[in-house]
Amino acid sequence: MKFRAKIIDVGCLNHFTRVVNTISKLTKTCILRLTPDNLYFVLSGKISSGGVSMWCELSQANFFDEYQLEGVAPDANEICLEVTPENLSRALRTVQNAKCVKIKLTKKHCPCLTFAAELPTLSSISRVVTHDIPVDVIPRRLWQDFKEPKMPDFDVGIYLPPLKTMKNVVDRMKNLSNFLVMEANLNGEMNLKIETDLVSVTTHFKDLGNPPWGGDGSQGRSQSRDPELMAHTRVDIRKLQQFLMGQQVNPSKAMCNIVHKRIIHLILLHEDVSLQYFIPAVA
Amino acid sequence: MNCVVTGGNVKVLAKAIHSLSRIGDELYLEPQEGGLALRSVNSSRSAYACFLFSPLFFSRYTSPCGQAFRCKMSIKCVQAVFRSLSSLEKTVEKCHIELDGDKSRLTFTLHCKHGLLKTHNLSFQDSESLLAVFDKDSCSNVLRAQPRLLVDTVLHFPPALEEVTLSVSGERVWFRNHLEDEPEQSKAMLTELCLSSDEFDHFAIGAQSSITFCLKELRGLLVFAESTGLPISVHFDQPGSPVVLSVTDSVLEVNFVLATLSDDSNLRNHNNNSTKRAQSPPPPDDFMNDDIDSYLIAMETSDLAGPPDAVAPRQQTSSRTPTTQPPVADHRRESEEEEEEEEDTERPPNKKFRSLFFGSVCPNDSQLTNQTMKSQEVLASDSEDDTQSGCP
Amino acid sequence: MSLSTQSQMVEDNYVLVASLDNVRNLSNILKAITFKDHAIFNATPNGLKVTVEDSKCLQANAFIQAEIFQEFTIKEESVGFQVNLTVLLDCLTIFGGSTVAGVTTALRMCYNGYGYPLTLFLEEGGVVTVCKINTQEPEEPIDFEFCSTNVTNKVILQSESLKEAFSELDMTSEVLQITMSPSQPYFRLSTFGNSGNAHYDYPKDSDMMELFQCSETQTNRYKMSLLKPSTKALALSCKVSVRTDSRGFLSLQYLVRNDDRQICFVEYYCCPDEEVDEE
Repeated sequence: MKFRAKIIDVGCLNHFTRVVNTISKLTKTCILRLTPDNLYFVLSGKISSGGVSMWCELSQANFFDEYQLEGVAPDANEICLEVTPENLSRALRTVQNAKCVKIKLTKKHCPCLTFAAELPTLSSISRVVTHDIPVDVIPRRLWQDFKEPKMPDFDVGIYLPPLKTMKNVVDRMKNLSNFLVMEANLNGEMNLKIETDLVSVTTHFKDLGNPPWGGDGSQGRSQSRDPELMAHTRVDIRKLQQFLMGQQVNPSKAMCNIVHKRIIHLILLHEDVSLQYFIPAVA
Repeated sequence: MNCVVTGGNVKVLAKAIHSLSRIGDELYLEPQEGGLALRSVNSSRSAYACFLFSPLFFSRYTSPCGQAFRCKMSIKCVQAVFRSLSSLEKTVEKCHIELDGDKSRLTFTLHCKHGLLKTHNLSFQDSESLLAVFDKDSCSNVLRAQPRLLVDTVLHFPPALEEVTLSVSGERVWFRNHLEDEPEQSKAMLTELCLSSDEFDHFAIGAQSSITFCLKELRGLLVFAESTGLPISVHFDQPGSPVVLSVTDSVLEVNFVLATLSDDSNLRNHNNNSTKRAQSPPPPDDFMNDDIDSYLIAMETSDLAGPPDAVAPRQQTSSRTPTTQPPVADHRRESEEEEEEEEDTERPPNKKFRSLFFGSVCPNDSQLTNQTMKSQEVLASDSEDDTQSGCP
Repeated sequence: MSLSTQSQMVEDNYVLVASLDNVRNLSNILKAITFKDHAIFNATPNGLKVTVEDSKCLQANAFIQAEIFQEFTIKEESVGFQVNLTVLLDCLTIFGGSTVAGVTTALRMCYNGYGYPLTLFLEEGGVVTVCKINTQEPEEPIDFEFCSTNVTNKVILQSESLKEAFSELDMTSEVLQITMSPSQPYFRLSTFGNSGNAHYDYPKDSDMMELFQCSETQTNRYKMSLLKPSTKALALSCKVSVRTDSRGFLSLQYLVRNDDRQICFVEYYCCPDEEVDEE
């Protein structure tokens, strides 16, 4: 079991840092799955994480100048680690101007992901900083918990409005209520609603457009649907807020699938990174 | 005492008080013929700081003639006088400090823009003299650096980190976070920064050494040094004897004296935390050159096989003792002020750091035994059930 | 649904309709008086007055004249209701209260009378938010009987110089003591904290002093906890008028310029602290 990778390009370093920062805002701990082609940050919908699930996929070739992986076995060429994204984020923050950053799975006092960076100085010799971040190696028998979640059989899929606008609205609604109803139809309309003893607030978004899902059969239900008919799900507003808080850049595509009264499935695509986030309904 | 501070020096004074507030809760003020001394000490007496402003720092300075006068007051109250640090330079034209011994009152009068006059009357208590026992000139190791270098260094460590270990060997300086031995700490992130001697203005190492001290006070001094742009000197010896951080200029002298962890706790810490991160650091470039497969995690191999140099640091640790500088007792002998501190002898010393004023901590047998056991446990726990079965 | 078509539905029975192209012209000034949840709204053809009170010792009023609104229609002499101000402010700033030039939130506010909610239609960049805030019957605001004929001392200061003092006030002091006098120290703010006292003296000829009219020496103490909320108004204002009457009541009037450079006023009344030590 070996893993080592190297980033030289400053753009890649910034990009990778942004992705890790985003993940660190979404969860305290998560699984990092390393495969020969991809990195995945995974959170499976356990009760302890409030039932939310996350799946973030990065193509290693787009970030790393060198990437070597030797998995646990020839028939399972992967490594699965439990990490604290905040630690990764902090390590990356301090090496933003590095000439080169190496990431390595090491055996220190415990298994660690070691970040080593060469920092520029005025003298001829570089400064070297290393961060040993303890990780837990996930045994192979538990891997099945961290598979890519299946696209749910949703009722309505819709493109999201600018996330900044959505964040502002959700932040204020959070001050007023603990729960929020998200509803959308196939006519490109989406509403965010809260209702309490003191106040009711509804924000109406329109002309958002509906993604042309097709070919995989998962959109079967929405095929013959009345375009005006809303599918809605009531969620814990903090979960949605947390998701929106983590977004530092506007993704090239942001979508949401709603399974009526069951779940909302948020999908962000940004260049080569995809992030999926699942928030379960509350009664 | 009666003195006036003008212009940019008001901010220097304000920054000094803010720095001192990182040390303790009380400000000890002693006007002397040679200038105004402001001091503070923390509750466990393991950190002490003194700013001495020479008469030339002031545009007017009169010290009480005759008998010595000393007082102390809550540092927060003095800080409040200079609350708006950022706007201080723009708003305050002149600061007048007057000490009225009869009324037990210290008055700060700030003459500000637009004729605004701010008068703060603070009450104080008489106090004993506060002097720490240190002799920085006898230290075998001296580093001097621009504040920027140390600011950039501490940036790598989390704000909550309490202690940092500074090691010197050859032409290199290492900073790394110091962790307690408690089990939950084993999950903490370890950070190490390696600097070349070239980055220092002055680099004189008499004996390879590794000391652990509190980061909070260093950060406090850095705030001051950075705003004044003055270099910081670090004087130190072996673990257990204090490190002295100093900043000097023609009109002021600043000394921060911080206790360091004594040797036995250092040793314990290293054994527990890591084999590689022992007191003597590994060759600096090893991580950066590409032939380091020995460091890659290799869980298929025996659980006892550490990196080949894993044993070496411990040997070095024990062999270090003879090379150390004069023991603490010598420093004590040089102290004349020590008697005056006697009223505090009842205070139990800080659990880890020896007071700067008294006594020394001896490694104790039970700790040593304990330590051996712990390190064995660590080695045993290295094996991961899955990894052994999962490997070819 | 556009803002106008949505609001059409409730507008048939309205008693009050007010619109603003820029909601900040209302939300900012309401922030200056937000220290308790309950706010009493009183609309007349002249405009809107919003009152917030604390323990019968402090009252804050914000005035937004009818001219500030792009539309201000009122069907009765006077329309009054009470709402939760914190909730109202969250609604008014639902789009974040952007300060970016060219991005403003438009507001249309409707009230159909007793028993109806206060309905807000907010629009920014084509996105519409509809809020219905429950209302209550308004309480009668306290009359502090502060009358300009009884004013003994008055100074007008540029807010800048008071902001500095208020940001540095020793909060361990229970009271803020204000001295106004035709002779020295002219205008003095004093605190008496845990570790000593502090005095801030403004000379009458300071270039921060726009008006100085003091006829007799007066020293009054006001509870620090009561005066603290007024710093919100101070922060927004460009000038402040400090007046005391013969009973020692304090009036602070803040002149606030909105985003469109129009002038609004916020005023605070405060009772003196009962235990005044003679100094």
